[in-house]
Amino acid sequence: MLVRRKKPSTYPAAEARPRHRSLAGYSARIGFLFILPWLIGFVLFKAVPILAALGFSFMEFDMLEPEKAHFIGLQNYATFLKDTNAGASLFGSIEVFLLAVPLQMFVALALAAIFASDRLKGKPILRTLFFMPSIIPAIAIFIILSGLTYPGSGWLTRLILDPLGLPPMSFGSLFLPVLSLWSIGPSFLIMLGAIQAVPKEIYEAARVDGAGPLNRFASITLPMVSPAIFFSLVINMISAFGGVALLDRGLPYSQSLSPMEGYIVYNMFSLQDLGYASALAWVMFLVVMAMTLLLFRSARYWVHFPEEEANEEI
Amino acid sequence: MKRSSSRRGGYESRLSLRLWDFTGSALVNLFILIFLVSYLSPLTYMLVTAVKSSDQLSDAGAPILPADATTFFYDGRERRVYHVPFEDGERVLALVEPHTAYSMFIDPQDPQAGPIRWDGSYRRLEGVYHFSVHLENFTNLWESIDYGLLLKNTMIVVAVGEVGILVASIFVAYGFSRFRVPGGKFLFFLLIATIMIPDSITLVPTFFMYSKKILGWTGSFLPLIVPNLFGSAIYIFLLRQNFKSIPRDLDEAAMIDGAGPMRTLVSIILPQALPAVVTVGLLHFFNAWNELRMASLYLSTRQDLRTMPFSAQAFITYGFTPEVLQASAIVLMLIPVVVLFLAQRFFMQDMVVTGMEK
Repeated sequence: MLVRRKKPSTYPAAEARPRHRSLAGYSARIGFLFILPWLIGFVLFKAVPILAALGFSFMEFDMLEPEKAHFIGLQNYATFLKDTNAGASLFGSIEVFLLAVPLQMFVALALAAIFASDRLKGKPILRTLFFMPSIIPAIAIFIILSGLTYPGSGWLTRLILDPLGLPPMSFGSLFLPVLSLWSIGPSFLIMLGAIQAVPKEIYEAARVDGAGPLNRFASITLPMVSPAIFFSLVINMISAFGGVALLDRGLPYSQSLSPMEGYIVYNMFSLQDLGYASALAWVMFLVVMAMTLLLFRSARYWVHFPEEEANEEI
Repeated sequence: MKRSSSRRGGYESRLSLRLWDFTGSALVNLFILIFLVSYLSPLTYMLVTAVKSSDQLSDAGAPILPADATTFFYDGRERRVYHVPFEDGERVLALVEPHTAYSMFIDPQDPQAGPIRWDGSYRRLEGVYHFSVHLENFTNLWESIDYGLLLKNTMIVVAVGEVGILVASIFVAYGFSRFRVPGGKFLFFLLIATIMIPDSITLVPTFFMYSKKILGWTGSFLPLIVPNLFGSAIYIFLLRQNFKSIPRDLDEAAMIDGAGPMRTLVSIILPQALPAVVTVGLLHFFNAWNELRMASLYLSTRQDLRTMPFSAQAFITYGFTPEVLQASAIVLMLIPVVVLFLAQRFFMQDMVVTGMEK
């Protein structure tokens, strides 16, 4: 709580600062100065490019001859509707989101729940070991998995599939699942932090009332950590659509988890068609925004946000 | 014993309870251990393969672990040693004269005894191997890649970006958490919204903006560094959450004592938010170290500016043999992994994320 001072002169140090009409105005100006860097960055690297992309999407725009760019209306969007490759890429991206994200969330939550148990020994080192794959560069994963699935000397065929009499697995079918499972680090740690922050007394009370471990997990842990689950869901969704959230392991666009992103880059660099690439990017932007909105709307029904805003001042 | 314990209580019941407790703990630890081993198994493959020789990889009968075929020096040459089955048991013999129907062997223990004849095809015999670690894959890599240059380039991008993004994000988070800015709620909503925006939407115009036509930043580190100097939305969000959890009494006291906003930030807020600042710093370090998208877009024309992950992309096309490739994977992940282990005490220790909307 900032108290308005009636006589600033009684505070010698305050006298040194320039006089302002009111403390609220002073606070606003200083605060604005502090957030200014982000605001400039937002305008330069987010707002202007997004609007520019919208502008480009209505143009025939060849990267090699930018002077010849001209307005063609909704033609790029009409092309998108007829382009089966674009549709397949978009649904590919949505599919990745629908397949990989639930898997990641489930494994991260299960792991966090086990880590919250007092029975587990050596937690600090185990925690780091489970997190470690999330910071391995994508190129290294690429190299490791191509070796692992190599028909002759790869371990996958030699140690697991051959003895079980299963057909060999290709690199392509393994890359996405491994990449998804090896990206759970941030979600795992966020959920673990949330589970550990749940007061122990609640569990004790439930235990006294006769609730079993599964019951306690479903009716205490899940609601209490739902904000963390929601946060992880959001960051995993962003990665599934080719954004960077918390951790980026440097996937090249062409091998990105999101086929749509790969298709946009293909149109941009291989075909040099900035107009169509921008239209595709805007379609993807709208899809992601719609899904985000849906997610945030749904949060009302299942996320229990703590009531911290009661004594909030800002 | 177990059946009666539940009713009689006393010693037996306590024993069974402890037994049950012990079994539970053992099962939890065992499960996590098995899961960890399978979770990291591709890394085991990498570590083991990176120290193998290329001879072993092309030899289908070779064991899984790094090993060399055992040989015996006889009559001026190295001879391979095999497990040779005889009617009275198996003997370990060195192959001297290979033929298709029969072969001549010699006993390495007793070479003076003369050649031993064995009927059958020697190709079906199981070779003898001994454990051996090859580090020449790493020296090969060292000789074919200019690591000094790659490290220097990566360090420049990482270090400058790190300082910029930390300073900017801390300032902005401080601004959002401690000051009453008109429209602050709306601006914070915008900040959250920018987290959701996929990179590909801004890719086309920013590429055009950086290109020769406008800024001319292509072929320099600027596109990789400059955007970081304005902070990152997700880091600002995390830091703001953390700053808000610090009681305001202390910074109000400092303000009353005449400390300006900068002084309050540096001497009151930052010391208390240190784990969060370290976490954000590490997150950016890992991201910047592995960064490939920007590097491949803007540095492809400049051989001398390539960063580590960007040139690693070329490793696959260099025609390295599989074991050297695995060694290169180790080299690629070495620095981030070492940093993670060194900093694990601080990393994401206090990351309690509450509401996203507020």
